[in-house]
Amino acid sequence: MPNPYIPYLTKIKSILSENKVNDIKTIELEFINEEDYKEFNYIPGQFAEISIIGKGECPIGIASSPTEKGFIKFTIKKMGTVTSSFHNCEVGDTIGVRGPCGNGWPIENMKGKNIVVIGGGFAFSTLRSLVLYASNEKNRKDYGDIIIIYGNRDSGEVLYREILEEWEKRDDIKVTLTIDREEEGWTRKVGFVAAVVKEVAPSPDNAVAVVCGPPIMIRTAIAELENLGWKDEQILNSLEMRMKCGIGKCGRCNIGNKFVCVDGPVFSLAELKNMPDEF
Amino acid sequence: MEQKILQKDQVGKLYSELSKVYTFYAPIKEKGNIVFKKIENPKDIVLDYLNSKIPPKSVLFPETEVLFEYKLDGKDVEIIDRQDLDDKILIFGIRPCDAYSLELMANFFSFHGNLKDELYLKKKENTTIIGMGCNNPRTTCFCTSVDGNPFKKEDSDIFLTDLGEKYLVEGISDKGKDLIQKLSWLAEAKNADIKKANELAKQAEESITTKMDVKEVTKILESSFQHPVWDEISESCIGCGTCAYLCPTCTCFDVIDETDDYNNKGRRIRIWDTCQSCLYTLEASGHNPRDTKIQRCRNRIMHKFSYYPKNYDLLGCVGCGRCIHLCPVNNDLRVILDKILKVEKKEDEKAIA
Repeated sequence: MPNPYIPYLTKIKSILSENKVNDIKTIELEFINEEDYKEFNYIPGQFAEISIIGKGECPIGIASSPTEKGFIKFTIKKMGTVTSSFHNCEVGDTIGVRGPCGNGWPIENMKGKNIVVIGGGFAFSTLRSLVLYASNEKNRKDYGDIIIIYGNRDSGEVLYREILEEWEKRDDIKVTLTIDREEEGWTRKVGFVAAVVKEVAPSPDNAVAVVCGPPIMIRTAIAELENLGWKDEQILNSLEMRMKCGIGKCGRCNIGNKFVCVDGPVFSLAELKNMPDEF
Repeated sequence: MEQKILQKDQVGKLYSELSKVYTFYAPIKEKGNIVFKKIENPKDIVLDYLNSKIPPKSVLFPETEVLFEYKLDGKDVEIIDRQDLDDKILIFGIRPCDAYSLELMANFFSFHGNLKDELYLKKKENTTIIGMGCNNPRTTCFCTSVDGNPFKKEDSDIFLTDLGEKYLVEGISDKGKDLIQKLSWLAEAKNADIKKANELAKQAEESITTKMDVKEVTKILESSFQHPVWDEISESCIGCGTCAYLCPTCTCFDVIDETDDYNNKGRRIRIWDTCQSCLYTLEASGHNPRDTKIQRCRNRIMHKFSYYPKNYDLLGCVGCGRCIHLCPVNNDLRVILDKILKVEKKEDEKAIA
């Protein structure tokens, strides 16, 4: 068994600024060794410990889908020391990657079901991965309707615009984009995510909802889903916690006897209600 | 016979022979404290100690440990893996509670399927443990309440009993028995020696007066996460983290990069960390899932006596008592467990009333 703390080495292939404020960037990474890339088998909803060697490491959700070949992508908001260093990176820089970590979205159990994706703000990266995966021509037949509700504070904060516009054009994905307040030139919905959930009223029959976003959005959106008859087992969340190792050893991401890095980050609302309120 | 005698003045000879093969760790006195260090001079070895202040987990899981080293060259990086994991290690004179803690840590570090901590596990595999019974347990010791015993031999490869002028030497594991065979100069033990050792073991066990029903604590903790008793338990805690840093079963660590920018090289290291620190769970957003002292104190107790049994079917405590006699505000684990044991009784009383 190898040293589990040694990362795969990758190079930055491209950097894309995702929002007007320029504090969210998506970096595309290419593995230096083809063998490493083959070992890096991931599913949507998993994360990786990515690092700038010499600056530090942090856990980030994988934004690319395994159906996209040749690279992996991470969307990083400038928050602390390491993420700020990522914002100073250039194309060609070496990035360490450990993983994939965590359980990911239950793509096998979701087969044959409708998928309702509810996202808010920059917590859309692993949702991007999930939708790309499920809507891929090879996998599309395995899943029912794909309904996306994605809200942002303003139009400048909407991530992944190109791909969202592609999805809007498809007739097998129902996309509803919303922003908090009216804005000139904005032709989609205006209003909070919870209000849009109420309006779109996704049916709980044979469906799974994945909900990611700021805590207040998650709470209000889940309340609306409950009004629509959704059960706790059908609602999935992805948690974030401070982490170091990503392999259940450094200790800090525990909620009760569970570790978010290995038992999560995806938990159903039913599971979360049985865990101590320490997340 | 696997029972031999080592005269106390032969410890140096034992060291000279074994240190040719093993990196030899034993307790020494450093700045007034007993700690396990790599031995250069066998005269430094101190064996008539109660227990070390810093637990010998530091041999296999040091306070600061290199995960790997790196060289930086413009946009390129070279990673240099650890090269020392196959070294043979010998820990001499370790107490049974601490020897057991190394087993608990091996169990923890190999949990989660293929996500194993090979740094610890490889070193543990290459380690030979020469344990030593506790003739005089401290007043703060309570190993007999947590599946332990002052003369518990099964976690050692070789076990020593202090008979005054000499040690009774017993081979426990196959690895230990083989090693004893190689030490052909050891004298045979006499029946009287073995008898004396058994008496000492019995006396030591009887001298531990603390008896707690820790299984009952585990049961009560199942349903007392929200109980006001945590308020009381955490009241005097100053959050220094001594209890966790010096706990032989605590395994939490932080990871940082140390870069020598002038020479374009550095190392990624792990450092002991503690759930008693408010920074431990603080997220970059400012959110902190355990931002109160009550939550942090509760996490330590829950981890050892509820989460650990739930995940591994073992207790996360070996009863060494370090957290008791080293706590600067005398927050005594025995008192804490006793308070938890009374939680249910109080509720029963309420029910009767």
